[in-house]
This record gives sequence, structure tokens and C-alpha cells, in this order.
Amino acid sequence: MSQAPKPEELLRVSHIPPKKDWMDPRVDLVPGTWGYPGKASSLETLGLPNPREWNPTDEDWKLPPNWKEIIHEGLKERLEKYRSLKIFLDICVRCGACADKCHFFIGSGDPKNMPVLRAELLRSIYRQDFTMAGKILGTFAGGRELTEDVIKEWFYYFHQCTECRRCSLYCPYGIDTAEVTIIVRELLNLIGVNIDWILGAAANCYRTGNHLGLEPHTFKGNIEYLVDDIEEYVGVRLNPTFNRKGAEVLFIAPSGDVFADPGIFTYMGYLMLFEHIGLDYTISTYASEGGNFGLFTSQETMKRLNSKMYAEAKRLGVKWILGGECGHMWRVLHQYMDTMNGPADFLEVPKSPITGTVFDNAKSTKMVHIVEFMADLIHHGKLKLNPSRNDYLRTTWHDSCNVSRGMGMFEEPRYVLKSVCNNFFEMPENTIREQTFCCGGGTGLNAGEFEYLRMMGGMPRAFAVKHVQEKHGVNRLVNVCALDRAILPPLMDYWAPEVSVSGLTELVANALVMEGEHDRLTDLRGEDIPGMEGDE
Amino acid sequence: MPQLDLNGKSCEVDQDGFLLDPECWNEDVAKAILKHHDGPDLNEQTLAMLQFMREYYTKFHAFPILKAVCKNLHQPKDCVREQFLDPLLAWKAAGLPKPDNVFSEAVDEDHKFYRLISVQ
Repeated sequence: MSQAPKPEELLRVSHIPPKKDWMDPRVDLVPGTWGYPGKASSLETLGLPNPREWNPTDEDWKLPPNWKEIIHEGLKERLEKYRSLKIFLDICVRCGACADKCHFFIGSGDPKNMPVLRAELLRSIYRQDFTMAGKILGTFAGGRELTEDVIKEWFYYFHQCTECRRCSLYCPYGIDTAEVTIIVRELLNLIGVNIDWILGAAANCYRTGNHLGLEPHTFKGNIEYLVDDIEEYVGVRLNPTFNRKGAEVLFIAPSGDVFADPGIFTYMGYLMLFEHIGLDYTISTYASEGGNFGLFTSQETMKRLNSKMYAEAKRLGVKWILGGECGHMWRVLHQYMDTMNGPADFLEVPKSPITGTVFDNAKSTKMVHIVEFMADLIHHGKLKLNPSRNDYLRTTWHDSCNVSRGMGMFEEPRYVLKSVCNNFFEMPENTIREQTFCCGGGTGLNAGEFEYLRMMGGMPRAFAVKHVQEKHGVNRLVNVCALDRAILPPLMDYWAPEVSVSGLTELVANALVMEGEHDRLTDLRGEDIPGMEGDE
Repeated sequence: MPQLDLNGKSCEVDQDGFLLDPECWNEDVAKAILKHHDGPDLNEQTLAMLQFMREYYTKFHAFPILKAVCKNLHQPKDCVREQFLDPLLAWKAAGLPKPDNVFSEAVDEDHKFYRLISVQ
């Protein structure tokens, strides 16, 4: 339990730049805006360099003696490997189009949270060490010397970026600051500078198959509990299978959905949907995580964590993989999987056994997003729906950055939501679809100690929700991301009380008319559905 | 390591006051932790939640689904939050080691944050 500043205090944001020269790398670690360091045990599990106990508030960060050489060589290697990185570092003209697009800059007013300046924190080192002008002219050419203070500055500001990519949308050159953040975090990991909430989760995933560290019997036990709840609220007994060889489809969701409210209601939704359509599927207790915190650590860690889903699909002999409601999981699959672990040519091109639709868009990765899958089912009239059961909800749609801006999924979720819910209201145009605002806590910034930062960074999203709450009486914020389902509830409690949060499949399942169900007097949360008594 | 001393019994705790050894726990320890944090009284209902969490931890090495605690004990759906406000306090009073990973949170009307947690 902790006390955060009141919203009115947090609203007093000054966007007047400080007098201090931006080239001065020294940072004040403001409480609530930085994360605890990765534990030595987590780094050892993952085989990452420089495991040790350390504290960012100490003067000595216990870096390896040759840390400067490691960073220099690391950057050199990446400049050669990723042409995009070199281009992003070379071509910025500092026009400032991105400056006020970042939710962390809007919420904090800290100039180093302007994407242009955040990237400049790396760019200045690149310029000094890797360009002719910088080597000769140094500071005059915008170069800075790489010092321990720069490492500390990187640690602070590259863990105040959620890699949401809103800035890159407005960049006339298409510079992707998210990729810059990814690279800097990777460089920091070479010398053991990282945060526990990411490394702990990645280590868990490596050890037990999921971020939460749930062991197989616990994972299965949680799902069986949800099956009991479905029986109580819906009147139908389901029998999901685990690790079953020969199933047609392997289903993988983010593990948050089997652990905490409101994700568990989404998981109940998945189970009901599959029963409703008679899908031949199984759930793995080994590949029990769709998310991938390796994305926030290093390409190598991401690759290793991603591989388990495909190893399991191969072992079980399924035809293809169906993925649950997750955000960054889809960034990994959509943008990296194909050349990283793929192509997954031992699987078949996904084809819906219910509608016959072939998902050509997933012909290489062999993994289909549940929202595409549901939209196709609804389009072909394969779901028996009673949307009036969701009439007590007035919904709006939060486009999760990775699935919307990251992979262009704008229409499918809206089509599904409008099909299962009669009351839907869009947030203002410049806060949705490709212009969506981040929840404020993606990329592993959901640690408790980041709460001050998250309330600041989530403010633009929350204000757009508040707008439709006041205008249309919206009381439910719907999304397709497990981190959103963890991050948005406290954000709403803070800025827009009375707005609850849920996954899309939860609302689909509320509306699903299941064979053999009893009168549906409650929703999947066990709450009475207003006005439904005796209606059916 | 700091110690928690009670009626001649002594338990090692971490810097945040979580017991290092769940076996060092008894009802007096629970009462002392709850009193220190202005938590609820230890009665039949709250003690049952703590005991459930202890048994669950022994078997599953994890934090339970909160609703599952209440359902198993035939208590109101939101029993842990209603009694303890902060589920982490219940966990602490149950003598269980501090979880490393905070998974999600709630904020009350006074802008206090409560963590719904996971265990590594």
C-alpha cells in the first residue's frame, strides 16, 4: 500500500524546459518513476551478463571494469546488423514533430521524455564515437562522451518509454524511437543494467513457461477454478484438455489471464467460445505464456522465449496456433517471429475449421489472433449471440498499441464489440486507432514502484476515457491486451473512477447463447445483470 | 536480518517485515502484523483466509486467485479486499514470504494503491 499524489497535484505539469543543459547527463531519480534493478538470480537463470545485487540510488552501480568497451562494441555490432538503427541515428533533423506526441512528455513535462531528445541521448554517443564530424568536433557536432552518468541517464529515460510508437507515426522520416529504446535496453543488458519487473518475469518464463512463475499444476488448477465458475454462472460444464497430442489447434494466452481480475473473465470467455463452436483445441502447461518479456530485454532472450510456443506446437502435433488477447506478444509474432524463429513450416497454414476461412496473413507464423478468429466466426454467423445481455454496459474501445499501431488491427475488434454489445462510443479521433494513447505501463513498466510515472503517462488515455464517460456515460473500457487489463484498472480508479476494464472475449461470452445453459442472471464476474431477470 | 520478537518467540523477517520462514508463523504473529498495519482483527473469518493462503502456498507456490479464496471458504466474493483492503497484507499476516512481482493494482478514493500480486 502506498500513497500517490492526488490527481490535482499530478495535473500541475510544467512544460517549461529546465535551465540545465540537456547534454548534462546527471539525473535525479524521482521516487515512483524508476524500477528496482534485476535480481542476480534472474540474470543467472537467463544467463545474462553481470549478475549482482545493486541499487540505482548507490553511486557505484558495480559495472564490469570494461563496461565502456562493451557498450562501444555492442553499439558497433548493432549498427552493422540493423541498417534501420543507423538510419534512425543519422537522419533526424530535430523538427520536433514527435515532441508533444509522447504520453510521458505530456504527463511529465520532462524534456528528455520528448522522443527526439530521448533518441538524442543515444544519438549523441553515436555521433561522438562513430561519425567523422563527431570525432573531430565533439560537442560542437552534438557529440557527448560516454560516461557512467550517461548509463544512469539511459537507465532512467529508456525505462520511461513504453515502445508504443506513437511518436514514429508523426515523424516525417518514420524514425522508430521504439526501436531505439529496444537497442538501448539491449546495450544496458550487456553490462547488467536492467529492471526486476522485466527480468524477473523473463526468468520466470524461462523456468516455468510463464511470466507469473505458475507451475504446471497451479496453471491447470487456476483454469479448473474458472471452469467451476463457468458452471456456476452459465450452467454448462466444460472439459478443457491440457498437453493433448493430436489436437487441431494449440491455444496460447498471456498468463495474466489465468491469474487476476479482470483477465480471468477473458479466459472464461475463451473457454466458452471454444466450447460453443466445438473447436478441437488443447492448452499447454509448458507454453503457458503468449507474452514475451524478452522483447524488453534482448533479441536473443526474445527468440528463446518465443521458441517454446513452436516447440510445443511441434511436440503436440497440432496444425496451427491460436493466440489470446495480448499486446506485445503480437509485436513479436507479427514483426520478428518470421525471421527470428521462423518460418514455422512444420505447421499448416491456419484454416478455421468452423468457417473454412484460410488466414493467409498468418501463412508463415501459423499463429492467428483470437480477434481475427472471432470476427470471422461472427461474419459467417457461426455464433449465437444475445447482445442485450451487455445492455448494462456502455463501452468504449482502447486500441492497444501493439495490435493496433503495431499490426493494423483496427476494424476487427470494433466489429466484434459492436456485434456483442449495443452501446459503443468512440473516444476522440486523435486518441484512437493508429493515434491511440498508451496505457502508460507497457514494456514492463507495470512494477509497483513505477506508479507515479504510470499515472502521469496514462493521463492522456485516461482523459479520453473521461471525456466519453462524461459525454456518453461510458462505464466499460474494453481492450485486447493482458497488460492493459492490469494497468488500466488503477489508472481508471485514479483519473476516471467508475469505469471498469475488460477484455473483448469476456463480452463475447456474456452474449454467447450456450447449448444447455441455465437462465443467465449474472455476467461472468458473477454480478447480477440488470433487467435480465425473467427476460429470457 | 531484522527479527520479530513475540512472547519469547523470535522470527526472522525481511526488510519489509515479511517472514522469511513460513513455519515460524502462529496466530500471535498474525495478530502482531495486523496490529502493526492497522489491519482487521483476527477472527474466525479472517483467520480462515490466512490459513487458506498458507495451505495454497504450500501446494501451489503461488498467490491464489482472490475470488477462489472466498469461494472455497464460502465467504462473500470480494472477501479478502473487504477485510484487508490490501491483499498483500493478508499474505504478510499469513506469514508468507514477500512476493517479488506486483501484477496489478487498485486505487482507493484516497489515492492509496493496493497491489494484487503474483509470486515468483
